Amino acid sequence: MKVDEKSSKAKKKKQQQQDDQKDHANPFMLQRFMDPDIPWDKDQLGDMLHWIRQVVGLLCGLVWGAIPLVGGIWFVLFLALSTGIVYGYYAVILKVDEEEFGGHGALLQEGLFASLTLFLLAWILVYSLGHF
Amino acid sequence: MATLRLLSSTFRYGDALTVLWISLLTAVVCETISYFVIYRSSSYKHLRSSIDKASKKLDFLKKPSGASATSKNPKKIDRFESSLKESTRDLSMFKFKSGFVVAVVLVVVFAFLNSMFEGKVVAKLPFHPLGLIYKMSHRGLQGDDATDCSMAFLYFLCSISIRTNLQKLLGFSPPRGSGNMGLFPMPDPKSN
Repeated sequence: MKVDEKSSKAKKKKQQQQDDQKDHANPFMLQRFMDPDIPWDKDQLGDMLHWIRQVVGLLCGLVWGAIPLVGGIWFVLFLALSTGIVYGYYAVILKVDEEEFGGHGALLQEGLFASLTLFLLAWILVYSLGHF
Repeated sequence: MATLRLLSSTFRYGDALTVLWISLLTAVVCETISYFVIYRSSSYKHLRSSIDKASKKLDFLKKPSGASATSKNPKKIDRFESSLKESTRDLSMFKFKSGFVVAVVLVVVFAFLNSMFEGKVVAKLPFHPLGLIYKMSHRGLQGDDATDCSMAFLYFLCSISIRTNLQKLLGFSPPRGSGNMGLFPMPDPKSN
């Protein structure tokens, strides 16, 4: 009997460890990114916002160039769209307290310059190669 | 190389692809050099971990509310701030010395591209640039068409976007806690 109890306890412990490992092994699950209850580290949130900006920049650049959208107004529109998405992500979806992460300015400028250059590069390349 | 030539000849502005590939290759070479010269060394790892630790502790101590509020100690904050400044200065010096090799590579590649595409329109801009952007995008080009793009502007865009994201991807980007504390820090307004 004692042996059975011991083995079942050991199994439970092992299961719990596996569950814990799963939680740690899948930090990049979509659910985790959308859950406002999960606490965010300054670096983690900064990296996340950086990559969101880059993806938005690349996609907008490709779409703007493929259509093609011509004129400085589309650059301004991209800037507004990208900033809106980043703001919506941390303020509406994650509901983080921006003061803990250095304020709106610090969060909104995360990856901004890199995404601007990436957007311009994609826009110019697709426009030049696809329409001339 | 043959594929690149074929692609370049297929498109009217195929030279843009050549600039893109060359800057991609340069970014990879520069990061490889940086890895062997800077990031692999134990002193860099030690400095980086001490900056991370100090900035995390400083953030915790400076939090407006929470458990740390009662244990706030200005002396402790000052100590962490000075250690963070010191480590960041050391890291900047370390990178400055070793980054010289990378700078040489970048200058050589830029000179090579300049000789390849001097006076050539490598791409067409989908907007009319103004001021400084116009000066850069029209550098060395003949004619008045503002939408003509020179190699310098395209290379600038490529090198900034590719290098920044490559560094981020490889985990080589400078630590966040080191902001405004490098070789030339801004003066602290409180000290006046």
